[in-house]
Amino acid sequence: MFKAFGFVKRNLNLTHDEYRAGHAGYHNSFGRRLNNIRGYILNVRSNYELSTAYDGSSLIEQITLSEPENFDDAWDGYGQLNFDTYGDYLGARSPSLDRAGKNGLEYDPMVAKVGNDLEYLYSGSPFQFCVDEAVQVSVIRPEKKLFKLAQFVKAPANLSPILWRSYLAGKYCSALSVMPGLRGLVLNMRTPLDIMSGFFKPESEGFTDNGIIRRESFYSSWDGIIEYWFDDASNFFVGRAEDSLNTYLATLESELFVASFFRELDETVAVLPNRNPPNNFYFR
Amino acid sequence: MFKVFAFIKRNSELLSHNEYRAGHIGYHCCNSRRLRGIRGYLVNVWANESLDSKIGRDYSDIIINEPVGFNDLWDGFPQVYFDDAASWIKATAIEPNRATENGLSKDPDWTLSNSAFLFDPVDSSLKEFKSNHLKMDEKIIIPINRPEQKLTKIIQFFKKKSMIDGLDFKRTISSEYSQKLSKMEGLKGLILNFRDHDINAAINGFYPDDAWHFSQQGYYERSKFTSLWDGVFEMYFDNVDGFKAGRIGSTLHRSLTALDEKLFSSVWYVEVDENVIIMPNRDPAPDFYYR
Repeated sequence: MFKAFGFVKRNLNLTHDEYRAGHAGYHNSFGRRLNNIRGYILNVRSNYELSTAYDGSSLIEQITLSEPENFDDAWDGYGQLNFDTYGDYLGARSPSLDRAGKNGLEYDPMVAKVGNDLEYLYSGSPFQFCVDEAVQVSVIRPEKKLFKLAQFVKAPANLSPILWRSYLAGKYCSALSVMPGLRGLVLNMRTPLDIMSGFFKPESEGFTDNGIIRRESFYSSWDGIIEYWFDDASNFFVGRAEDSLNTYLATLESELFVASFFRELDETVAVLPNRNPPNNFYFR
Repeated sequence: MFKVFAFIKRNSELLSHNEYRAGHIGYHCCNSRRLRGIRGYLVNVWANESLDSKIGRDYSDIIINEPVGFNDLWDGFPQVYFDDAASWIKATAIEPNRATENGLSKDPDWTLSNSAFLFDPVDSSLKEFKSNHLKMDEKIIIPINRPEQKLTKIIQFFKKKSMIDGLDFKRTISSEYSQKLSKMEGLKGLILNFRDHDINAAINGFYPDDAWHFSQQGYYERSKFTSLWDGVFEMYFDNVDGFKAGRIGSTLHRSLTALDEKLFSSVWYVEVDENVIIMPNRDPAPDFYYR
């Protein structure tokens, strides 16, 4: 599937929790109606500090490597969009035939504008990129809020991107995948494919010099994101702290990463990703 | 949790079944997923091809007195979860969840007023629509864990034999019958739901006293629909073949059918396409806006 991530910084008129409500509430309500969308997840940065909030939190300092300063100033959350094709993604922002009216089903132009709230919800354009994903453990969601983590990782300059991806998807994620309580593990590599042109208006901030500098600065801190889902926080802290696993991962991390740091995410499933072939009827 | 099923028939003057799907899952849910305090929201739409047709002749072996034309009475049923009845009743009080130039605001465009274009209208004024909102008492037999693919969901409707005591019936269904059903191979999730015997339990305080639902005609129509069944099982499988193998092609078949004949005056199955609008969260609610 085609997969995109879009990192966003909240509008300064909003607190982080107000941004949540605006994104998970109004904005997602329109985004989930994008034409031919096959999956839509919102990840909002948690209000909890991983390094202090939990039993075992002291582990975070031990396993963090060169975390950039003020990293969180650049984002409050990121969305995940799944489509069958890049063409579907580009065509998604068009009026949707999904509103009942006096003449039957009618087009709703507000879907083409995704609710038309971008300038009030965000500061500038999203940092939107195509993701090369490797599903290490298929995500299985119970009827409760899972403990979700994003591990931002940056490759060493002297390792080829192909080898880096191979080692990461192979031995590193394989080692992670045995952690007890793991409900899902997905490796996401940021790709250089330009997926902002044709999706955002040409006059968007993301295409200005300042917007490009802002985005490139954010991207310079990391090259990939490993997403983890656990039943609860203790699964991660206990599992990761287990001696033999921790020693093995620490060795790999010293070889594979020049930076590695974690964030907790609050996940909203706006459209449960459906990796099966599409249905021949409207389905979300 | 406070769980409500709402069986709804489309506005068939304006919409086909597939158009209804789009209008319900699309625009309508765009608004209703923002109901205050909502903790879970699924919309089940009957599948375009009947189980009878998919399973073939074996289907007749597992049903008793399926009401003729049952699916003509409805096109879908949302199931919503709230913490309690009070939260449900207050759900339409809108809250700030739209970013505007003034910060986070109540959405002035939020509305459910097009519902009579989508659902079966009470009359030509298109101000009200008919629905069967029903409070359900659920028991989770096997928790459902959803993969990133569409599961097959099958609803087993059942009605108690009149000579069986109500409490005995519930006890047997909740224990012996559920245990047996839960052994079906390939089953991914199983939830038992008894319909609250008070058909107003989900709408008292939710709809105004002068709503169609409380009128003589409304009460009559709702009673007629709800009298067809007393409860449902929600069953999840990878596909219909999984259901067929687990229910019909297994050693359980005989004993389940014997129990069906002992307990039910009618029992039948409908496949539905489940749309996850809000993943139910059965844990306590977080202290921030969460869907």
